[in-house]
Amino acid sequence: MSTTILTTQDLSRAFGGVLAVNLVNLEVRDKMVQSVIGPNGAGKTTLINVITGRLAASGGKVLYLEKDITSRAVHHRVKMGISRTFQITSIFMGLSVWENVRIAVQSHLGGSLRILSARPSLGSVNDKTEAILKRVGLYKLAERPANLLAHGDQRVLEVAISLASDPKVLFLDEPAAGMSPAETDQVSELIADLGTEMAVVLVEHDMEVVMKISHHIIVLHQGGVIARGTPREIASNQEVKDAYLGGDDWAPLSNV
Amino acid sequence: MSNMEQAAPRSLIFERLGGGKAMWITTAVMVVILAVLPFILPNRFYIRLVNEIMIYGLLAMSLDVLLGYTGLLSFMHNAYLGLGAYATGLFMIHIWPESIWVAMLVGTVFTMAVALPVGWVQVRTGGLAFALLTLAFGMMFYTVAWKWYDLTGGDDGLMGLPQPDITLFGLKLASSGNSTAIYLFTLAILLICFVFTWRVIHSPLGAVLEAIRENEERASFVGINVRRYKLIGWMLACGLAGTAGSIYILYRGYTGPGVMGAFEGAGVLMMVLLGGMGTLWGPFIGAALFIVLKDQLSSWTQDWEIFIGAIVILLVLFLPKGVAGVPALFNRQSGGED
Repeated sequence: MSTTILTTQDLSRAFGGVLAVNLVNLEVRDKMVQSVIGPNGAGKTTLINVITGRLAASGGKVLYLEKDITSRAVHHRVKMGISRTFQITSIFMGLSVWENVRIAVQSHLGGSLRILSARPSLGSVNDKTEAILKRVGLYKLAERPANLLAHGDQRVLEVAISLASDPKVLFLDEPAAGMSPAETDQVSELIADLGTEMAVVLVEHDMEVVMKISHHIIVLHQGGVIARGTPREIASNQEVKDAYLGGDDWAPLSNV
Repeated sequence: MSNMEQAAPRSLIFERLGGGKAMWITTAVMVVILAVLPFILPNRFYIRLVNEIMIYGLLAMSLDVLLGYTGLLSFMHNAYLGLGAYATGLFMIHIWPESIWVAMLVGTVFTMAVALPVGWVQVRTGGLAFALLTLAFGMMFYTVAWKWYDLTGGDDGLMGLPQPDITLFGLKLASSGNSTAIYLFTLAILLICFVFTWRVIHSPLGAVLEAIRENEERASFVGINVRRYKLIGWMLACGLAGTAGSIYILYRGYTGPGVMGAFEGAGVLMMVLLGGMGTLWGPFIGAALFIVLKDQLSSWTQDWEIFIGAIVILLVLFLPKGVAGVPALFNRQSGGED
């Protein structure tokens, strides 16, 4: 079994009186793709938000490499190796594809206070930027402003940005949302590949993708974990079927 | 490939500075024109008008660092020009009248010393809250300048400023009472500030500020300490405004609280928008437009603000990127229609 990177202990988040995340215990292991699924409003995104520091926890703990990071600032968590993408694409729209990744790499490798140097003078930053863009297949679009990219490419660019900080754990919030089938295939291949190098936590509605590339699945329903297991175990779990609209349209069963 | 290798050494100096060759040639031509202007202009009045444009251009440029590069709106950036002006003036009157350089340094450092705790509070917010805080702090500074009669002279302003010589390495160049001398001095400081700011904005630090402008949340999620870099941008902008204030009082020989008012602050904001934000040079064009328009309109009607307001409204509607956006507009039209 691979080493544990991150765990949550009874992690909770309330909005008003509603517990969007309710006593969730999670164990994120290295070199695995772990998916979090559940119907709309199950608390998947909120869970990621609390773990990555976008939202404060109402209760419980987040432990990263055995350190309590529950109330660490976002940029500290990123520096430590926790990276993420967002459900709604969050990139630097007005900057070029190159600069989107370059600034993220610069932030990670340092040099931001070298006010008397030119931006392209940070050699190792350029090299790493190039390597990342080549890896995700956006290098040929490096000069293009991010806001002129196709939607699918913007989603991929966000993954590229989140790779700049050499994450140990990468949270991907619906990376394939709005993508064409061909783009979805490409991005799931990329995610599966990333899962061989780091811990990947995937929130995704496309069950085909989830079932294909996940090593482990956690099912959330009304803020709490109702099931966890391998894709095959989850696909045949009655409680999971019930959670998804009474089970009638629980499609993954037929695909596995 | 071989072409690129040959071209590289020649453009190295421009690459180090950031920006293209054309931009620096334009800058050099502008500096030469500005330098000979006082010897061509028919009278002192115009020399002083251009001098004022240079000072407000510097102030507007410093606001552009915040607005155009960091994405932060400061409603009363002129308050920091005022702080620099008062600090420089009070230092010369009460402590040491001899050195123009020391007085400017004091003005700049004092402005930054005040801006630091203010910025520390402000960067904990963003967007509208940040903008409102700049207004609140600005009005406090304005009121202090206006009401603390014993120190600032209140409504009457700070008078009796000594006129030390402008010296360089101990060499006397001219008296600061000479309007041509102070004009050339302003131009020299302006050039230093512009090149410095251009360099900083096109450095890795500028890239961080732009990232914050584009997407604050994403910036923090690539590991940028957003508050810290907002504060750095703020301090840079306020330091430059303080320097502008130091020259302002040397140029006018006087300052009153009016220069720190909210109405004036709106004027500086208009200069940035008129010229085009996010360019550093646009605000100078904006300052020239604004000050020349104000001068022409106010010689014709007392209610010049109405007309400036109307012109700004038209420009915002039809030229949202200011004068700096005109070339792009022209290119697009000729590309699409011809």
